[in-house]
Amino acid sequence: MTGLPGGDEGLARFRDLTTQQDARLRDELITSHLGLAHQLARRFAGRGEPHDDLVQVASLALVKAIDRFDPERGVQFSTFAAKCVIGELKRHFRDRGWAVRAPRRIQELYLEVGQNIDRLSQELGHPPTVAELAAAIGTTEDAVLEAIEAGRGYRSASLDAPDLNSQTMADSLGSDDARYSHVEDRSVLAGALEALPERDRVIIRLRFIDGLTQSEIADRLGVSQMHISRLLAASLAQLRASFADDRRSLEA
Amino acid sequence: MKRLDMSDRDDRGGGRPEVIALSFPARADLVALARFTAASVGARAGFDVEEIEDLRLAVDELVVSFEAVQAGGTIHLRYTHDAGTVTIECTVEPGLRSHPSEGIAGGELWGGDGELSRQLLDALVDEHGREQRQGRPCVWLRKHRANASA
Repeated sequence: MTGLPGGDEGLARFRDLTTQQDARLRDELITSHLGLAHQLARRFAGRGEPHDDLVQVASLALVKAIDRFDPERGVQFSTFAAKCVIGELKRHFRDRGWAVRAPRRIQELYLEVGQNIDRLSQELGHPPTVAELAAAIGTTEDAVLEAIEAGRGYRSASLDAPDLNSQTMADSLGSDDARYSHVEDRSVLAGALEALPERDRVIIRLRFIDGLTQSEIADRLGVSQMHISRLLAASLAQLRASFADDRRSLEA
Repeated sequence: MKRLDMSDRDDRGGGRPEVIALSFPARADLVALARFTAASVGARAGFDVEEIEDLRLAVDELVVSFEAVQAGGTIHLRYTHDAGTVTIECTVEPGLRSHPSEGIAGGELWGGDGELSRQLLDALVDEHGREQRQGRPCVWLRKHRANASA
């Protein structure tokens, strides 16, 4: 890793990047500032998120900061970048935190299970069994099952939370929702969906009306199968609560 | 019939049917027990994680529909797995605090959101049904492992 350019020299390189749009210069700037991303990721370690994930979040935020930095604003890049990276790390925790505090061991195992489901699904060509997951992770099947159940306490990422490419999951749902606006579905489920936010409706429709599997929905939306599972569970719980409220209103 | 016992995992799928019984007060915070047991039985039947997630959502649907109308009662679940097929039956023992108008004997439970449950279960499992057993309503579901017949 090369040294961190600072002061006028650093600003000059950013000015060159702005005017020349040189991909190699951009790569050099990224490489020379990666240490900052690692350093900031370490500050957020030990809070239940895998270190590698934090480094990835911080690194991608750094790239975004390099692309957005305006050297004419009179601010050092390191100051600007630190603010961007810390903001992204905080957002990561806000969107992926645990609603119900689970033991660290379970939190980490849950994350590991999620990563291995995606990896093994690709390798095997089908979702793994619990036995296959346990073998891949090097733990017991009971531990995998415990982690999956504990995952209900894991807060699903907000559909409105932008990813690092400034595209929200809601953006990827847009085309589906437009299509559904033309569907005349008078099923009970379709009626019940009115109680849900628009974007949750699409996921429920894909699963329960179109019959897509969780993996197929996950592929379409670019998220993990476990994420879809959490969203489905949360939406169904909300639907049930809505029905219970309606019933109480009718009985009152 | 026996209690949940994780020690006999060599009896998975290929042997005689295994039956696990679970009973708990009809309280929302205890539904996790039903899900966890469903997941365990699914794993023993060789389900993949997605089939297990569907099974967990489905057992939620069975139990919560009862829980909503039967506070104070006891939920009885019977899980059976046999050659890659899991069957879950759910009955409710009325509690002291239940009121006749809550419709546990049939009626209301099968209407209203019962229709929603049917629609959800259609997508989550292979078969499901509702019937009276020994004078009590019973809801059941059955799910086959994707490669059970392979």
